Amino acid sequence: MKQLISLDINGEIHELAVAPQASLLQVLREELGLIGTKKGCDSGGCGCCTVHVDGKAVYSCMVYALSVQDKPVVTIEGLAENGRLDPLQQAFIDAGAVQCGYCTCGTIMAARELLSAVSDPDEEQIRHAIAGNLCRCTGYQKIVDAIKLAAANGA
Amino acid sequence: MTLTTLENYFLPGSGTEVVELLREHGESAMILAGGSFVHGLAARDLLAGIDVFIDIQNLGLADIVAGPDGLQIGAMVRLADLASAPDVQSDPGLGAVKDALHYPPVQIMNAATVGGNIAAVCPYFDLPTACLALGGKVTAQGSAGSRDIDLEDFSAGLFESTLGKDEFLTGLVLPQPAPGSAGAFIKLESNANDLAIVNVAAQIGVDRQGVCHFARVALGGGVNETPLRSAAAEKLLEGRKLTGEILKEAGQAVQADISPMADHRASAEYRSAMAGVLTERALQRAVDRLN
Repeated sequence: MKQLISLDINGEIHELAVAPQASLLQVLREELGLIGTKKGCDSGGCGCCTVHVDGKAVYSCMVYALSVQDKPVVTIEGLAENGRLDPLQQAFIDAGAVQCGYCTCGTIMAARELLSAVSDPDEEQIRHAIAGNLCRCTGYQKIVDAIKLAAANGA
Repeated sequence: MTLTTLENYFLPGSGTEVVELLREHGESAMILAGGSFVHGLAARDLLAGIDVFIDIQNLGLADIVAGPDGLQIGAMVRLADLASAPDVQSDPGLGAVKDALHYPPVQIMNAATVGGNIAAVCPYFDLPTACLALGGKVTAQGSAGSRDIDLEDFSAGLFESTLGKDEFLTGLVLPQPAPGSAGAFIKLESNANDLAIVNVAAQIGVDRQGVCHFARVALGGGVNETPLRSAAAEKLLEGRKLTGEILKEAGQAVQADISPMADHRASAEYRSAMAGVLTERALQRAVDRLN
């Protein structure tokens, strides 16, 4: 039985009917068309679906949509402000940290939480922060470079 | 996550309401905390017979209170919040908890809860092993009121707890570690985001002469259907000076108490061998923290 709820996604309130078993990931992609958040393993192992709930990075595939009613959710689409990319997004471009791109949005969301808490993280902190995000292309080095670049740019 | 179809999703506001819902829906109800474990079950189509979720996020239960009896940790405390608690950060006696919380990725730390981690009775989880070595107990609420259950008596088998049908877990109590004691935890995993192949927690106290006056060694990660303590290793350590040789012997002694499982992560033989190695290393890490 679907329930009518309101969700706060990127500062916008959406009223919609949601099935009890629907994940936040499903609702974002299939109901709201926010397809920047990717579906990878759908079992909490790859990190492609990372979003922020209450400012904290979580796997949206393992969060039930009904559990985040009225909690602020931020997706990759919510990072840019006034048409300008978040400095972390820009750093991923500048450092060449994107290859196939499938993991990129989730990795940026994980790194975004780190940089919001720690302005000048060391390499170990960076690697720990993205340990829950798999990338099969880059070997991670350019991703780490991008996060360092973003930190240096005051992201 | 799409395999299961639920009839309803409840967000009760009190423990009494939770108990009423449990009584009404019986075994077709599942308590939902952070959702990470439940999601794992749903993704593998293992929620057959579950028709309703009871999400307990609105009950509070999200505080950590440090008192003379130790740490009282609400069931809804996220792993990330427990990891950043000052006592966990600084007390060598809580070293096993600190270590156990170093392994999960940020996304799991932010979602998974202390209560869910224990109530799942999953043999591969880390925190239950650490809390077992600390002599922890859980609190449960049901129609007959609240009660404490020693963690050692909490597991009834694989994914089965000793909670009654109308009871749910409300918190965890970790006793104040004795002054001069220290703990440590080590996990063997195949990658940064996997469940344990073997995990071991050690808790030790040593007197001024360097003699061990108590030792608790807990093992998990599929060395048994549920995490367990190794009486053989503990007996061997107590009353002895904790030399490298004794720690190695303790690693061999755990073999008497474990019954390793075989699965896609590891063979029983490999788990058995690694249980010994990890026991020795966890004990050594605890010894190092004493000084």
